[in-house]
Amino acid sequence: MSAAGAALRLRGGLTQRLVETARRWPTYMRVAAGVLALLVVAGLLANVVAPLDDTAVDLDHVLEGPTAAHPMGTDEVGRDLLTRVLHGVRISLVIAVLASLAAVAVGALVGVLAGTLGGRADAVLMRMTDVFASQNHFLFGVLLLVLFRPVLGGTGAIMLAIGFTHWPSLARIVRGELLSVRERPFVLAAIGGGASRHRLARRHYLPHLLPAVGLAFVLTVPHAVFHESAYSFLGLGLEPHQASLGNILADGQRSLLAGGWWIALFPGLALLAIAMTIGTIAEYWREHLHPRWRSELEL
Amino acid sequence: MSALLEVDALSVGFRTRRGIVRALSEASVAIEPGELLLVVGESGSGKTVLAHTLLSLLPRNVDVAGSVRLGGTELLGLAPAALRELRARRMALIPQSPASSLNPVRTLGGQLIEGARARGLSEEQARRRLRALLGELGLDFDFIGGRYIHQLSGGMQQRIVNAMALVGEPDVVIADEPTSGLDSELVETTAAQLQEISARGASLLVITHDLRLAQRLAGWIALLYASRIVELGPTAAFFEAPAHPYGRELLRALPEREGKSIPGMAPELTALPGHCAFADRCPDRFDRCTEALPDLYPAPDGVLARCFVHAAR
Repeated sequence: MSAAGAALRLRGGLTQRLVETARRWPTYMRVAAGVLALLVVAGLLANVVAPLDDTAVDLDHVLEGPTAAHPMGTDEVGRDLLTRVLHGVRISLVIAVLASLAAVAVGALVGVLAGTLGGRADAVLMRMTDVFASQNHFLFGVLLLVLFRPVLGGTGAIMLAIGFTHWPSLARIVRGELLSVRERPFVLAAIGGGASRHRLARRHYLPHLLPAVGLAFVLTVPHAVFHESAYSFLGLGLEPHQASLGNILADGQRSLLAGGWWIALFPGLALLAIAMTIGTIAEYWREHLHPRWRSELEL
Repeated sequence: MSALLEVDALSVGFRTRRGIVRALSEASVAIEPGELLLVVGESGSGKTVLAHTLLSLLPRNVDVAGSVRLGGTELLGLAPAALRELRARRMALIPQSPASSLNPVRTLGGQLIEGARARGLSEEQARRRLRALLGELGLDFDFIGGRYIHQLSGGMQQRIVNAMALVGEPDVVIADEPTSGLDSELVETTAAQLQEISARGASLLVITHDLRLAQRLAGWIALLYASRIVELGPTAAFFEAPAHPYGRELLRALPEREGKSIPGMAPELTALPGHCAFADRCPDRFDRCTEALPDLYPAPDGVLARCFVHAAR
């Protein structure tokens, strides 16, 4: 009874806090959050809201401009562009989120290991991080794609390529943060008060690391969307028929010469909208929501 | 009957690149239950090192010799689990600067309950005891609970760390510079709180360089100079007539007395002289002072002083 009551109170408090926070948002934040929410919902429900099959070829309606039947037009084999863009948003977002999670996981793991083990392990891990960071991460991603695409398939290889090239900066932040928080007086005070190592890690180290990790994740997502598009555009990513934003853009580039401007425009706008809204929200979060953390982390 | 906390010939040295820094040399003090001992000295004289040694909070590059016994149990070299138990239940630290001694990114409520639970209390007990303790100090737990440490005034912060130290009902409370950075009104409040802690029956070790606080708190005083205890005795006797020349010059330096600072500087802890460390600055110096290291000699009023002036007695 009391546990259920507490859970209910917590949930009520969270919704209330969210509403209160949203009320303080400036207009551009509300627009960004609204557009992003719309894109996410449309992408997740692509199968339901999209009017047609995303791979259905209709050779009677090839390269048609926006009409009532096809609001965004059709591509060079007559597929409905609105349907493909909605599916593209979904595929690109899912890949970007999973790839960012992978990148953040690797970065956090390397950072925590280096910061905790110290000594020689720390030196080895950080030199490894330097090596990764000193490479051109896009080209390194291309290399990973070429190596792993035959094994993992396009989707898996793209996640791997993005996840494995976007961790070094977070690893450095996490390690530095861990090293500095361990020297803080409140940690000494907690040890003096009989706190165990487990308790220290859970109650003092983790709360200091989480905002950095969370922010790194949110900032990596739009970046990963661009990466996915770029790899697919180069023909290294998903199968050509799969409706990722990068693939549609690649089609669009070909059709542009035939006068089909809409095929590049709409997926391009969707890509821009995703990147800009998430970027805007992340920036706002960084600057306003946690000034305390910001000063703590010096992000 | 043996004392509750006995420190015997305690020496602490830090291994650094510049050589060994002797932070504490053969310090011996004892505290009975309910007693108050002030450890006074200027910055770098070894005060905080003493506090941290008692709780084994020292970094790794340290050599400790001597003995610290709590109720007959040797504390130096204790196993980690026993040490944790000891810090949680028997000894408590009121850390230097309350504002940085609590986690700035967590609300106080969760943190205080968490700290109390580390001391072996159940959630329910922790809540009840914190509410009572904070209430006695004029703070409302519900008011404090949802706030962050930086949202409170210096006096409130001090009261919170005091309550935190008392929550496990420790036998010994160590207060490390409890008044650094506080204005005079808060110093008064803090002094009253420390006396209250002492009155509850806990032994209190107060580390400070604030002589006014020392005079206000009374009890016993240990004066540290260049890693050694140079004077040990009742606080009242010290403020009446210090037995060691350093103590006398220190009191003279107080603005309300003569405001006359002691010429020269304390010796480097990496290169302590083999003779009296204060000899170079001492107005009463004679030949022997630069030849040998004085012991603690009995002076009037039950005071011990590390000065050859009292050696003849």
